[in-house]
Amino acid sequence: MKTLTRLAGAAALGALMAGTIAGGAMAESLYAPNLAYRTGPFAATGIPLMNGQKDYMELMNARDGGIGGVPIDFDECETGYSTEKGVECYEKTKGKAIVTQPWSTGITLQVLPKTNVDQIPILAPGYGFSPMADGKVFQWAFNTPLSYWDGASILIKYIAAQGDLKGKKVAFLHLDHPFGKEPLPFLEAEAEAQGFELLPIPVGLKEMQNQSAQWLQIRRERPDYVIMWGWGAMNAGAITEAVKTKFPMENMLGVWWAGHDADLKIVGEAGKGYKSVSWSFPNPEAPIMADLQKYVVEPGKTLSNAEEMSGVFYSRGLVISMILGEGIRVAQEHAGKAEISPADLRWGLENLEITEARLDELGMTGMVPPFSTSCDNHTGHSGGWILEWDGEKFVKASDLIMPDSDMIAPLEEKAAMEYADANQPWPVNDSCGG
Amino acid sequence: MLYRTAGQFKTSYKSDMALFPVRQDAVLLMVILGFAWVVFPLTASEFAFQTLLIPILIYALAAQGLNILTGYAGQLSLGTAAFMGVGAYACYKLVTLFPWMNPVVAILLSGVFSAGVGVAFGIPSLRIKGFYLAIATLAAQFFLVWLFEKWGWLYNYNASGAIQVPNLEMFGHYVAGPQASSITQYYVVLAVVTLMTVLCINLTRGNLGRTWKATRDMDIAAELIGINLMRSKLTAFAVSSYVVGVAGALFVFMWRGAAEPNLFDIPLSFRVLFIAIIGGLGSILGNYLGAILIVGLPVVLGTVPQALGLSISSATVEHLNIMIVGALIVFFLIIEPHGLARLWALIREKLIIWPFPH
Repeated sequence: MKTLTRLAGAAALGALMAGTIAGGAMAESLYAPNLAYRTGPFAATGIPLMNGQKDYMELMNARDGGIGGVPIDFDECETGYSTEKGVECYEKTKGKAIVTQPWSTGITLQVLPKTNVDQIPILAPGYGFSPMADGKVFQWAFNTPLSYWDGASILIKYIAAQGDLKGKKVAFLHLDHPFGKEPLPFLEAEAEAQGFELLPIPVGLKEMQNQSAQWLQIRRERPDYVIMWGWGAMNAGAITEAVKTKFPMENMLGVWWAGHDADLKIVGEAGKGYKSVSWSFPNPEAPIMADLQKYVVEPGKTLSNAEEMSGVFYSRGLVISMILGEGIRVAQEHAGKAEISPADLRWGLENLEITEARLDELGMTGMVPPFSTSCDNHTGHSGGWILEWDGEKFVKASDLIMPDSDMIAPLEEKAAMEYADANQPWPVNDSCGG
Repeated sequence: MLYRTAGQFKTSYKSDMALFPVRQDAVLLMVILGFAWVVFPLTASEFAFQTLLIPILIYALAAQGLNILTGYAGQLSLGTAAFMGVGAYACYKLVTLFPWMNPVVAILLSGVFSAGVGVAFGIPSLRIKGFYLAIATLAAQFFLVWLFEKWGWLYNYNASGAIQVPNLEMFGHYVAGPQASSITQYYVVLAVVTLMTVLCINLTRGNLGRTWKATRDMDIAAELIGINLMRSKLTAFAVSSYVVGVAGALFVFMWRGAAEPNLFDIPLSFRVLFIAIIGGLGSILGNYLGAILIVGLPVVLGTVPQALGLSISSATVEHLNIMIVGALIVFFLIIEPHGLARLWALIREKLIIWPFPH
């Protein structure tokens, strides 16, 4: 009994000390939590992204001592892609966080109205609700550098460049979830404008890995193109089914989350010609990769490995953290202090200026197209590349394609106003120019 | 000694049949209610409200609804989540169609819709029993979730297919939607849950409850003594779905703030069923204990490593959490297969005779 008490005492003392040390260190850092998912059904695609995000911040801390002289306390809160856990994480971290990165369209939708009240910026690079681009209505939300509607527009533009779309049939294979339905309003508008037939084929969450019914329908309908809005286990399922049904792979195109190297490695050579749009691209020659090797990999601070680090998703993780890092840097310069508040960061994210020159400075040449944001444009609409699977890895199959903003902007504005009307009272920032 | 019943004499049937024949039980309840109504709201942080207090109450209410059906009336159901969904969608339609409606009234009304749907899906229970009925209610689960996805009118043709809770006012305070403060939402949930619990306790102790128990224990015998089985089963489905529907409306309106159809899928049904089973079938208290174990414990466990200053990655914490909670569930079921409520009853009995065990 005595030993037990003593042990417990020692443990309590240890915990207390650890607590004070951790508490002391935390005062001088910026708390930037990430609602990560390294567990659950989507972990396979989540892990490389989370590793990329984490490694970038590790590099900043190890090489530059943080951003603007303040270390970044990059913390992960595990959600397992569950909306319920996501909200729990948001509540847990929002007290001292300068940003929230929800990492799922479901969680984004859920915390979107709350962040407006709590005044914390949501950073959802390349996901979330497309109308978040309207910064007047969604003052605290950012889906830089591309929204889903932009992605759909780039895909349609690319397909149209291969030959007139009039009278063609395009199947839209999508996850039957807010994420998968997101581009539908835009695609419907496009189908009407361009005169092609849109065939939405939903894939239920439970049928992600067994899409035989959907592919039977595709075989019967014989669409000219398949656009895939998939995520996680759905992609591997769709790609293997496409190979099995002998669908011409070069006519199958996916959103950026459907361009994961590991999904295509399953089919290898047979997947040759599959395409996916992307707003990031791995550049093994970029100086940042050498720095990562020196400051993060060699000291053993990474959870990643060489193969993963050469992939599309890892480098996208780096880009995502770069966007946050740049937002912080711009905010620090504007606020004139290193320890910025969430409101300062919002200003920073609204005034991003990611030019080619800045990318060279960051050592990230060619890893993301240049873009800039403003008060009323929270997306940046950078444009994207079409990547093609060559049997071993993704290669660029097109130059930078810009989304059709003339068509998207009015749709965005309308959807944003509808959202604001449905959520009265909803503050709208009319002071934004443009 | 601690739980002394000596000296508490019952001199009338009324006092013997009272809700709390033992004074200490009443005192204990008062203490718990005091905590729930005064101490927690004054001391809780935003995090505690959002991840512990509100969800535990809502899950306990949902389990209570299921418990009426499964624990008291003996009708196995796997469609709980779908009936919660009916409540949530009904509430959404009510507040968007009639924006002037008092939100609490809308929440209480939405249960009526799920009661109707529950009765419709309860009709097979007149012919089939046990596992076969569970499969029939599973059909409700699949059908309703499919309906929530496909019927655009239900979610006002939103682009994302999800329902979003608007800001709702009651007496000049926001009670639902992003503008509502946690403490107001907590009080609304607590009031509704308290009301429902009182209702359930009285129903299960009354005539209807005895009919249900008779149906559960042996339906043929019940029929022989003159119980109308059809009425007994369908009222159980109606009351159960009503409570579950109200829980569903609270779930979305007072806590989550938004919901996609997929939320009301089987995992949620199972979660509520686990709460009911681990808490104890055929008891009201059990639902609360079960909800604390299944909903509250993982949240508390998740904060332990950080509080101790251990740096374990969040994914590992999550894995550990699942293992610990799973082990605890197995442990409790081995110690007391009849659930936590029965475990508490045993502890109580021991306390009454302490220190002189038989």
